[in-house]
Amino acid sequence: MIAKIAKYPISVLLGSLLLISCSKQADEVVVYVSEDQIFSEPILKDFEKETGIKIKAIYDTEEAKSTGAMNRLISEKDNPQADVYWANEPIRAEVLKQRGISAPYFSPNAVGIPDIFKEPEGYWTGFSARARILVVHKGIKEKPLSIHAYTEPRWKGKAVITNPLFGTTTDQMAALFTIWGDDRAKRFMEDMKKNEVKISTNNGESADLVASGEFDFSLVDSDDVINRIRQGKPVEMVYPDQGKGDIGCLIVPNAAVLIKGAPHPDNAKKLIDYLLSKETERKLALADCAQIPLHPGVEPPSEVKSIEQIKTMNIDYAKVARKLQAIQPFLKNWVGY
Amino acid sequence: MSKRIILVSVVIFLVVIGLLPILVMFARSVIVKGHISLTFYRGLLASGQGWVLIEHSFALSLLTTLLTTAIGLPLGILFAKTDLPFRRVFSVLFTIPLLVPPYITAISWFSLLGREGLLAQVLGPSAAQVTSAWLFGLPGYVLVLFSTFLPIVMLLTMTYLNTVNPRLEEAGKLVSGWLRVLKEITIPLILPGVLLAAMLVFLLTLGEFGVPTFLRYDVFPVESFTQFSAFYNFGAATAAAIPLAIITFLVLVVERIFLREKTYQLRPAPDGEQSAGISLGSSRKWLVALVGLLCLSIVVAPLLVLVFKSLSASAYTEALSKAGDSLLRSLTYAVIGASLLTVLGFLSGYLIHSKGLPFWRSVDSLTILLFALPSTVIGIGLISLWNRPLTNFIYATPVIIILGYLARYTALTSRITVSTLAQIPPSMEEAAQVVGAGWLRRLSPIVAPLAKRGLVAGWLVGYIFCLRDMGITMLVYPPGRDTFPVRIFTLMANGSAELIAALSVIMIIATLLPLGIGGVVFKLRKRV
Repeated sequence: MIAKIAKYPISVLLGSLLLISCSKQADEVVVYVSEDQIFSEPILKDFEKETGIKIKAIYDTEEAKSTGAMNRLISEKDNPQADVYWANEPIRAEVLKQRGISAPYFSPNAVGIPDIFKEPEGYWTGFSARARILVVHKGIKEKPLSIHAYTEPRWKGKAVITNPLFGTTTDQMAALFTIWGDDRAKRFMEDMKKNEVKISTNNGESADLVASGEFDFSLVDSDDVINRIRQGKPVEMVYPDQGKGDIGCLIVPNAAVLIKGAPHPDNAKKLIDYLLSKETERKLALADCAQIPLHPGVEPPSEVKSIEQIKTMNIDYAKVARKLQAIQPFLKNWVGY
Repeated sequence: MSKRIILVSVVIFLVVIGLLPILVMFARSVIVKGHISLTFYRGLLASGQGWVLIEHSFALSLLTTLLTTAIGLPLGILFAKTDLPFRRVFSVLFTIPLLVPPYITAISWFSLLGREGLLAQVLGPSAAQVTSAWLFGLPGYVLVLFSTFLPIVMLLTMTYLNTVNPRLEEAGKLVSGWLRVLKEITIPLILPGVLLAAMLVFLLTLGEFGVPTFLRYDVFPVESFTQFSAFYNFGAATAAAIPLAIITFLVLVVERIFLREKTYQLRPAPDGEQSAGISLGSSRKWLVALVGLLCLSIVVAPLLVLVFKSLSASAYTEALSKAGDSLLRSLTYAVIGASLLTVLGFLSGYLIHSKGLPFWRSVDSLTILLFALPSTVIGIGLISLWNRPLTNFIYATPVIIILGYLARYTALTSRITVSTLAQIPPSMEEAAQVVGAGWLRRLSPIVAPLAKRGLVAGWLVGYIFCLRDMGITMLVYPPGRDTFPVRIFTLMANGSAELIAALSVIMIIATLLPLGIGGVVFKLRKRV
């Protein structure tokens, strides 16, 4: 009878805590995911079904998009919990390589993916991409054709851009810094500000602001536009800077990364092989995210051009990654933080 | 001897799960490359952003506190002291927003006022632009937290009104009407309770993370989360969190000096006397209409819109297929968390009530401080302390989530225990002590059964707060072990509005279900 209150419940509850702390499964793979959960989870579930390997995932939240999971990886460098990082863009995968957090792996399924989308030493491999394109309201007669429209007087106060501290807009700015050099890129951003560009929280919001007619155009990811087009919103997409001598359109592939010291390295490689397969690219093309396949011969979604038809921005993702870290103080200052 | 050992163990446990993570986090923010440095703190203030955050956080907390107090106090009086029709129904309805995660309330408001919300469909896109801009700013933030925290002031007012000696009011009524009695006798008597409620609202608003994140309003908890999550800057994240800790600490010091002795223990009115009710007379009709309108606008309408939006079989099927496992996990964690909180809260409450150790006041302050601190602070602290290979059995498992719950919410069960024990005559335990019963023997057959209702109430409160937690869980959940609120948050990225609405409705049901069951059981037992 003694200590029913103090001892018995404590023992039971501590026992239950011990149980949940010991419930480790051997045949599993731990993946941190920056791609939207709504699109990535079905792929991971299919992997689970097909291989019998249990998936344990951490997904990013919308607000910390493409940086939350990566930062958890950085904080766990000396105590890795993850096996694979499914990044929704390759720049931060490069940052992981530069910080010694990822490990090389050449997947047999990467054969056929253009070299520009693969890290030469195998630290990450790109698949299923988005294009950074202009979403333009249908009511606009003369469409903007270049990102320079952001600085042109006729679009003063009529353009919106996503906060460049987050997500693919950071990649875009860092890419411009590597192509143009610091001075020209900073001038471009300052001119945008002078042209009264509005800053939104995420690409989805930017696309919505254009769809509702509050702004004429915005630079967003292709999936954001396709999503709105499929909802019947009055927007269309423009691939920017496609003319001769123009810088082209930034392509942002997903990236599969093997983590150094991964607790389940074999399963990690199986998952990476699965992500890089043509079948996964086909599924991501057919899904609502409508991503552009990088494997030749896989049909793109009907609304977008195939990768061969787009004039792509010629960038070195490693350089962009280094630049991304270097320009953080400038970007913070530009946003007003 | 066993009493001392158990109580000291409770204190050590609270220090390890609550205080130590915060101290480790603070140490990491002031030690840069082996030297003491205030770089991160200077950085925060020098950027100008720090002052903006202070301004935002203070403005929001003050406005929310003023509004909830201005409305919650009269509502509490109306429901506890008058013959207002439907007052019981109203008090239950107004309490619902407190029971569900605040960001669900934000989602329901978004469904009503957002760019593609119900109002947009009725009034057109131009009106929706205005209401949307309004929602995603200071007024929207205040509105959502006002509806969430209004029940705190309302319920505490009602509770404290029961402690007022009715003879004082009756004496007042001999020379004047009810209005003057309320103004000059009743309200001054319950003022410490109202101020305590206002303080709680202020601190909870200051530390709120989910709503400003959803409504994209930059305040300290969001900045702290962003610094950690988007810039991987532990030092800056801590620096952004420390001002909150300092403000919280100062508010608690003020409470200690001015309010503690007056609000520390709730005692029913002497001799169980009931105060005479106020007859509203001809004012009943317009008062019930006014209260009904308020209830409709801030509780019923947003919830109905959410339910309406979720009304498709496929939305619920999809919700359960996408998040059924998270829901089960959430329920399990909440049950374990609530049970441990009940035990821990009972022991720490007993320690505070009986002044069982010389430093009982510090234990009380520690639990309150941990409750008032923003959840992101505790979350980052837990990562700082437990993210090591040696402690993987904690960091890499749901134990880290449970520890977060215990650190943050022990104050609730502890305070409920203190209030419960205050109503048990000490003579009962003393009698058992005289005949030689040891401490554990006294607790088991005497104190615990007498405190049963308090323990059940503590469990229910612990369950609700564990289930709705997002700030701590979001930062620390192990791979594949996310909770339902976190799953809703991550599915918001490109998830359909119907799916999110269905998930939110399921969340509300999961929160209210044990309360409903508890209510039915209570009524049945009362009849027997």
